[in-house]
Amino acid sequence: MPLDIPLKNFHEANGAKMVQFAGFNMPINYKPGIINEHKNVRNHSGIFDVSHMGQVLVEATDLHINNLEKYIPLKLNNLRNNRSNYTFLLNENGGVVDDLIVSLIDINSKSYLYIVYNASRKNEDEKIFFKCAPNAEILHIKNCLFSIQGPESIEVLNNVIEIPVDMHFLDIDVLKYKNNSAIVSRSGYTGEDGFEVSISIEQAEVFIKDLLENKNTMLCGLGSRDSLRLEAGLSLYGHELNENITPIEAGLSWALDKDRLNDTALNGNKILSNQLLNKPSNKKIGLISVNRSMLRDGMILLDSNKNNIGKITSGCFSPNLNKSIAIGYVNLNFDEEKEIFCEIRNKMELVKKTNLPFVKKNYKKNGSYNE
Amino acid sequence: MGVIMSEKKYTKDHEWVSIDNGIATVGISNHAQESLGDIVFIELPSVGKSVNAKEEICVVESVKAASDIYAPIDGEIMEVNNSLEGDAAIINQDAENTGWIFKMKVSNPIQYDELMTEDDYKKFLEQ
Repeated sequence: MPLDIPLKNFHEANGAKMVQFAGFNMPINYKPGIINEHKNVRNHSGIFDVSHMGQVLVEATDLHINNLEKYIPLKLNNLRNNRSNYTFLLNENGGVVDDLIVSLIDINSKSYLYIVYNASRKNEDEKIFFKCAPNAEILHIKNCLFSIQGPESIEVLNNVIEIPVDMHFLDIDVLKYKNNSAIVSRSGYTGEDGFEVSISIEQAEVFIKDLLENKNTMLCGLGSRDSLRLEAGLSLYGHELNENITPIEAGLSWALDKDRLNDTALNGNKILSNQLLNKPSNKKIGLISVNRSMLRDGMILLDSNKNNIGKITSGCFSPNLNKSIAIGYVNLNFDEEKEIFCEIRNKMELVKKTNLPFVKKNYKKNGSYNE
Repeated sequence: MGVIMSEKKYTKDHEWVSIDNGIATVGISNHAQESLGDIVFIELPSVGKSVNAKEEICVVESVKAASDIYAPIDGEIMEVNNSLEGDAAIINQDAENTGWIFKMKVSNPIQYDELMTEDDYKKFLEQ
């Protein structure tokens, strides 16, 4: 039986079409539909209930940090307070157990690692968290998680929670909502400026109704969340990432602390440092359909001689480009100048290789919008 | 562009069919377009092709997924709705009228008689 998120009834009353995702009944879209929700986020803002995601608090003690550094390729002792970091849990081969956001925050004058992780990976991740920190506190049983995304997200949220003027992309803080605390980070997974807010289940419905007072925002489902992240060229666990792919193969070596690759205490450190030197065998690329056919996860990529050169890991319709877009992996030795075809219903369809992202990122860094 | 038709009938694959002078017009039901969501692309069948009932003959792609469209009855494809190639979203706006997908010459009219009436289809959806 799939689980329900706390505000399931609220979403259904607001026209959500529910689907099963990662063991949860989740809104895939509301009445306006995926394309309108997508465009509203790019042009104004949108509100996503992502309460299915994992949230945990781990006390930032030396012992916990030391234990976690076996799995997380960052120097956790060097994390800056009130900052979020995109990182991974790694298995013994350097493969990705999950991708995560790890933040260092103070709650009641105690220092915590606040970790947000994928719903589909809760079992695997929590085994590691409890092994590293037996008193880790699962937060998603108490708190909902909302993602407010888009260029107007600051206006939507500022009406409800006072956002410090110096809060930039990947900053995080514990702020006040109606005399209770909420964990607010300036982040998201759409390529737009935005915020993620972790707030108690008791306050969640009042909070989301307060946000919807802004008439230019709207509820958005997982459908537009996926097309937004794909346009932004962001990886999704179970598609671009899995236990058999390393962050380097996934083109995410920027998220690794390179010094940690020399540390034998880190899972897969030898494999990873080797890949960094010798380059992995696959390369992540962006693809755009030439005809109007849709590129989908799992489709095979071919060269003009019908040799298999790779496959698509995510594909969708891009409302911004009005074409189908995809992310895939191709063999590194494939000649980039050659044409690439995608096998769609037993036909070879020409596709165009492109750099990621498909749509320029619009994060608010140090007071100015840039990539 | 309105297409006036005889009694409209439905298949279990959520297509509608209506026959006029031995030519069947076929599309997907309003229920089908609602559950597919935003339709962004259609691969139309080839004109002149002979098809059998339940044969996959074309594909509708929504933002979420690809769905096969089946021939509701035996016959030959006579015409396709080319305006859908530029704007497949017409199906979302008007699935059971201007969003028609193809017309076919009916070779076995009994198959049409066996399809569901509108009332039967409504009951079928409630099951």
